Amino acid sequence: MTDRTAVVALEGAAERLQRPGKRTAFAGFVAVAGPGAVTLLAFGKPHEALPALLYVLVVLFATSLGGRGPGLVAAAASIVPFYYFFLVPHHTWTLKSEGAVGLAVFVLTGVLGGEVLARQRGARTRAEEEASSRMQALDTALRLHLVADALVSAQTPQEVLNAVLVEGVHAADARGGLIATLSADGEWLDVIASRGYDARYIDPFRRFPVAGDYPLSEAVRTGEGVFVGSVAERDRRYPELVGHSQPGHGLVCLPLIGLHGPIGGLVFSFSTDEEFPPERRALKLALARQAALALERVRISVAEQALRERLSFLGEATAVLTSSLEVEQTLQRLTELAVPQLADWCAISMLEESGEIEQRVVAHQDPERKRWAETMRSHSRTIHIDDEFDLTARVIRTAEPIFLREVPQELLDEAARRDPNAAEALREVSIRSAITVPLRSGEQTFGALTLVSESRELEDTDFDLAQELGARAAIAVENARLYREAERRAEAALALAYVVDGVVLLDQDGRVRFWNAAVAAITGIREAEALGRQPIEVLPAWGELVRLAELADADAPQRARSVTVPIETAAGDRWVAVTGVAFDEGVVYALRDVTDEQELERARSDFVATASHELRTPLAAVYGAARTLRRTDIELPAEQQEAFLDIIVSETERLTAIVSQILLAGQLGEGRVDVDTTATDLRPLVDSVLASTRLRTPAHIELRVEQNGDRPVALADEDKLRQVLVNLLDNAIKYSPDGGEVAVELAGGAGRVRLTVRDQGLGVPAGEQERIFEKFYRLDPALTRGVGGSGLGLFISRELVTRMGGSLTVRSRPGEGAAFVVDLPAA
Amino acid sequence: MGGGGTQATPAPVLLVDDEPAIRTICRVNLEGDGLPVLEARDGAEALAEVRRQRPSLVLLDVMMPGVDGWNVAEQLAADAHTRDIPVVFLSARAAPEDRLRAQELGAVGYVVKPFDPLELAGTIRNVLERVARGEREQLNRDLSSEG
Repeated sequence: MTDRTAVVALEGAAERLQRPGKRTAFAGFVAVAGPGAVTLLAFGKPHEALPALLYVLVVLFATSLGGRGPGLVAAAASIVPFYYFFLVPHHTWTLKSEGAVGLAVFVLTGVLGGEVLARQRGARTRAEEEASSRMQALDTALRLHLVADALVSAQTPQEVLNAVLVEGVHAADARGGLIATLSADGEWLDVIASRGYDARYIDPFRRFPVAGDYPLSEAVRTGEGVFVGSVAERDRRYPELVGHSQPGHGLVCLPLIGLHGPIGGLVFSFSTDEEFPPERRALKLALARQAALALERVRISVAEQALRERLSFLGEATAVLTSSLEVEQTLQRLTELAVPQLADWCAISMLEESGEIEQRVVAHQDPERKRWAETMRSHSRTIHIDDEFDLTARVIRTAEPIFLREVPQELLDEAARRDPNAAEALREVSIRSAITVPLRSGEQTFGALTLVSESRELEDTDFDLAQELGARAAIAVENARLYREAERRAEAALALAYVVDGVVLLDQDGRVRFWNAAVAAITGIREAEALGRQPIEVLPAWGELVRLAELADADAPQRARSVTVPIETAAGDRWVAVTGVAFDEGVVYALRDVTDEQELERARSDFVATASHELRTPLAAVYGAARTLRRTDIELPAEQQEAFLDIIVSETERLTAIVSQILLAGQLGEGRVDVDTTATDLRPLVDSVLASTRLRTPAHIELRVEQNGDRPVALADEDKLRQVLVNLLDNAIKYSPDGGEVAVELAGGAGRVRLTVRDQGLGVPAGEQERIFEKFYRLDPALTRGVGGSGLGLFISRELVTRMGGSLTVRSRPGEGAAFVVDLPAA
Repeated sequence: MGGGGTQATPAPVLLVDDEPAIRTICRVNLEGDGLPVLEARDGAEALAEVRRQRPSLVLLDVMMPGVDGWNVAEQLAADAHTRDIPVVFLSARAAPEDRLRAQELGAVGYVVKPFDPLELAGTIRNVLERVARGEREQLNRDLSSEG
């Protein structure tokens, strides 16, 4: 903004100077009135005074016109005719004394009046001159101020130039002006702007040497202004310019001196020959100084702006890079950011494990072009890292960036020759400048970033920026990779934390590096206790475990065979299946607690043993009886024969029962048993079962039935319930080796029917009261009490009762017998 | 101490089994083959019988309530008076560890059920003869090799 106050003050001052002063008017009045009054007094009579007044007026007029000189001449010249015509009444030349005195006074008055006026005129002229020079000074100040104002408010180099060439030229009263800047090496002056010059004369002087014999060169060299007043002077001083320069007149060449030395030069041309008095020179030098400072200032400001933009760009780039951990996405966004700010094209390539270089993303401001590039990419030949010619390959190989300010045509031609695809691409796209920077992580180069400019030449600042960008992109990619790896590890850790199998990792020294939750559960040793130590220190049984485990090799881990080993742990005796795989950095063991499976296996093999054992005894009886019956050498009495036949029959039945149980247990396990429930009166059922049981009951057992409450009609499968009852009774008898009473109690009420088989035998310990219902489970598994049975009876009974919608439970105290309760829904 | 003359009635064989059918079968066949038989229903009865009348041999079932066959054999071996009485197990248990256990207890025979009752007498006589000849050790050793 122009500083209006200064301008207003200056303009006001100028205005004041131009207004005529009061003093002048007053002086004029005195000059006229003075002699006029004297004349009147001298001559008394008005008609005689009139000529005297005329005379005075003439003298005064002449004086005011020409000054002192003409006034006196007029006074002298007018005496004669005046005397003749006016002073002497008879037109003679005789002079009387009073006439002579009158004349003398008269002349004196005229002369005095003239003198006063002349003085006045002189003062006025001086005043005018003074005013004029002050006007000039003010005008200069104003012009300088306007130029300064324009320079101060200039923000761009263009604005500075405008300020100098418009305001400056005007301030200097010149016809035209030009500005030249000093080249970086200080050897050349380049004309960057001009005004008021004919192109013909300017063009040859677009660039000229500082060392040359030119007025501007001299100015810049010496640091002093060169003031040439006329063409003649110029031709004389600078013979080089003769015939080359625009016919002009005055010429002023001023150096533009910045803070650290000359930065260029300023030229003003004038349309007339000029003189350059000190004050004019001062003005121009002041102008040049201001222009230089302004130019420097805006240059710095522009550089600052560029820097700020750069930082802002980098800031944006960093934000983009850190906003996402998806590598593809990040790289895509990065290339989009670089375009068109940095260049026309941006591409990122990555080195694959195979050694091939794949262009991952490419960007161009125009999405059509981008798509085109992507299609081209898919057709291009694959570049391998060892490729001698390809620039990207070279950058990745050497980890050194490449900056081609002007891509040489031979390079493009060679590329076209090697790959027809490239040839086609190059027909579509022009390439002027290119930058390729490596993307590195630590010591490894994993890719490259390429910038291509189609028309603009890329500069050092672009190169620096590209490298910065590359560095940050590399970090982002590395971060993404590390994050993915960390994720994978976290997932692996999660899997290992929750997997049921125990996992132990030992390093080369045999120390525990990893001990997951499952192995802690199996062994009772926590991770904190085991880490960093030899496993045998915390788990003595480890020795057993690894002694038997065969370590498989890391190349063929599936060949690892598992070995099941019984170990003592803090959690008790467990069966643990262990497999181990040895690899470079150590050994990994997988452990599984197979105690349950082992027990099941043992139960099964126990069962097989038991079953076969149970089958053997009745078989022995059947076989023995049959063999004996067939003996011809012994005479068997009839009862004996009958007895043997009975044995065969009953033992066969026993065999059948056992075999049926085995089958039924199997079918129950597979869910292949159907239960038909109908309303069943339990009393007759119980009676009939007891009747047949009595036949097998040893003498020391007494059977009895008891009924309480409502008639026991239950919703049940009669056949299956019969089986259950038989089983419970058999158990009761079996487990009362010392005899006693076995009672069947029936009770009904509240929608349920209860059947209880109570004995006074061995009883069931509390800890086993649930287990006895398990498949194959027998009280006293050592089977040395001779109680026999397959261990399936209760399992089957409970399954059947449950399927009928009821429950089978036991109440017992060891040594006090047991009561098995069947609870069924009432019909 | 052992029976009298060669064909004179030897001391009876003590038959120990909780299954009446087995006892009957064994008795009928052994007596039919000229071997007198004493019966016991369980281990306790067996030990009492042994003290009452020294048998020439004990045919011993394993799975019995109360005092089982293993126990009986142990007690017989522990007692100096009964140590020499040869014991032949008669059992439905057919696993190698059962034979081994029998061997450890000093048995001289192991018959697995089901067995042919017609051969029982012959087996017993064979054992008695060999014991008389002093081949007791051998018989005991042979237990682990039969299978």
